[in-house]
Amino acid sequence: MIWTSSHPTSPESSPAADVMTSQAVDQNIVDRLVEFGAALREAGLPVGTDDVLTFCASVAELSPSDSEDVYWCGRATLVNRRDHIPIYDEVFRRFFLHVPEGAERKHTKERKAPQGSTGTINVPDAEPGDRESEEPPMVLGLQASSLEIQRKKRFSVCSDAELASVRRMIASIRLEPPRRQTRRYTPDASGAQLDIRRLARSAMSLKESSPKLLRMDRKQKARPLVLLLDISGSMADHSRNLLQFAYSMRRAARKVEVFCFGTSLTRITPLLDRRNPDAAMRLASERVLDWDGGTRIGDSIDTFVKDWGRRGLSRGATVIICSDGLDRGSPATLAEAIEKLERLSHRIVWMNPLYDSSVGAPPTLAMSVVGPHIDEIASGKDLESLEAFAAMLPNIG
Amino acid sequence: MNASSFETPASVEDLQEQLRGVGYIADRGLGTASLIALRLSRPLLLEGEVGVGKTELAKCLAQLTGRQLIRLQCYEGIDTHQALYEWDYARQMLHVRALSEHELADAQTVGGLYSEEFLLERPLLQALRAGSNAVLLIDEIDRADDEFEAFLLELLSDFQITIPEVGTVQAEDRPIVILTSNRTRELHDALKRRCLYHWIGYPTASEETNIVSLRAPEVTEVLVKKVVASVHRLRDMDLAKPPGVAETLDWVESLGAIGADDLTNETAIDTLGAVIKDRDDLDLVASDITRVVPGG
Repeated sequence: MIWTSSHPTSPESSPAADVMTSQAVDQNIVDRLVEFGAALREAGLPVGTDDVLTFCASVAELSPSDSEDVYWCGRATLVNRRDHIPIYDEVFRRFFLHVPEGAERKHTKERKAPQGSTGTINVPDAEPGDRESEEPPMVLGLQASSLEIQRKKRFSVCSDAELASVRRMIASIRLEPPRRQTRRYTPDASGAQLDIRRLARSAMSLKESSPKLLRMDRKQKARPLVLLLDISGSMADHSRNLLQFAYSMRRAARKVEVFCFGTSLTRITPLLDRRNPDAAMRLASERVLDWDGGTRIGDSIDTFVKDWGRRGLSRGATVIICSDGLDRGSPATLAEAIEKLERLSHRIVWMNPLYDSSVGAPPTLAMSVVGPHIDEIASGKDLESLEAFAAMLPNIG
Repeated sequence: MNASSFETPASVEDLQEQLRGVGYIADRGLGTASLIALRLSRPLLLEGEVGVGKTELAKCLAQLTGRQLIRLQCYEGIDTHQALYEWDYARQMLHVRALSEHELADAQTVGGLYSEEFLLERPLLQALRAGSNAVLLIDEIDRADDEFEAFLLELLSDFQITIPEVGTVQAEDRPIVILTSNRTRELHDALKRRCLYHWIGYPTASEETNIVSLRAPEVTEVLVKKVVASVHRLRDMDLAKPPGVAETLDWVESLGAIGADDLTNETAIDTLGAVIKDRDDLDLVASDITRVVPGG
């Protein structure tokens, strides 16, 4: 019954159709299948011509008796990620079962923030472009005096123009994540162990009668970094800079995951792969619905633990949480969540712009709750403290 | 060509029936995906929650088709030496010693050092060599680094690899390839596009009852139904690690091991460790056990 539509065989049929005719499948059916592929593509699924070919080939192999077979053939060949299944289902229903669009729309598309909210992180014209961000790191101490002032000026009192130049400097801070030993060995002249294998090989080259002792040592590898950025109202001033910080981090270290939170948590890592920081930030701000809303640190960390941490994202990683600790959620939730996070990650660093190394952390309830579970606390309130943080990062184990 | 007498089933129902014969219950979707993979010789990528039978499918397909199961367990930092091949340096060394003592070293014997004799086959090379006699299981691919994924991509598109000292090895017939992923990270689209894809969800209560009855036939159906119902209630709770089908089977077996023939609050608490593997979850479930196992 699904094959009822009888299209006249069009001369400009797709390559998929050409292949299929040789396999004795009704041309009408093939046209219909190709159309289905196009409908999926229209709905936003990345369906290539080769996928459609595989789809047609699988239908030909199974010679389906009802629409359920066609459904599963398509599921196996045209869908390659779980999130796309609801979209596939809806298109399938519309296409083969003639259920009108939106009749049963279970999947929610990502809502976009209203246009006005993008203005929050619209950065001034002086934003660094790609060219500038690839400049070598600045040599500190040789800065012009105005920059020297900016280095110690709190971000919260900077003007927009100052912030832009600060951001340029943040982009140039070279970050080196902490390292860990791997199971593998690498040649190392002062290594702890003899490299028997290389010794054997050099001994095999017969001309060397007494080979040198070759040594090796454990290979070192950068630990993954996970950034959880608070972008709520109380942190709005810092969030812009920290996002820039996150961006340069993402570009410096290979394994960096970035999440934003306020009242809820959003993963923005894929957005930071864009080459242009401006575009990435604009996209990030559209993604994050609760920009400048309230803060629920506990719930957000809990979501992170449940949805990402448990799956191993933070295992062995250094987790950096940027927040002022002004939490509107329940402290019990926060205590439980940070305890779980502690067990799922290697080290936790809390970056708090209200923190002053001479006075200590501000006595907010949230900070006293998380205190026992975090390994380091940093400030990040001005450029100087960000630099101090960058210097500390490789050494926190 | 194919050493075993297995013939690819004609329909999805046939395959489902045959899989049932070796102790695996596949739903229509998984049956279809598997059949297409067999017919078109395409790799099959399985994603799904922990313990829903991703790895088990490969084992059962191997058993069903009479092929050898070759398993490559992925982990962070896995490289070609562990996955593909390695030279047996120690043996090469001994060989050289033996040759030099008898002063036999000439160009030919030295060339012989890089012969197959000294080649250690690792799973991927084994699978290529075995061709249609193998089911290759690439387990937990999401744990490997992305460089490794790129390497696999090459292998899975041509089913051939080049060993500089030996030459190109190509599979005469393609092995059945099953990849599994627990989705700890997103796989590259390029790799996914080489594969057929199926998401294995949790089975329905009646499917799960069938699976448990098939795997543990000695247990009464009443008890199986009760355990399955409780597991489904557990999955509805907000647990960090919801139990998979493997846990249901463990639970039934644990109950058997302590000689319990009914699931009561008491026996449930005693054997909870078989089904809940997280301390916070244990506390949560233990405090609410009457909801999980209603009626005593």
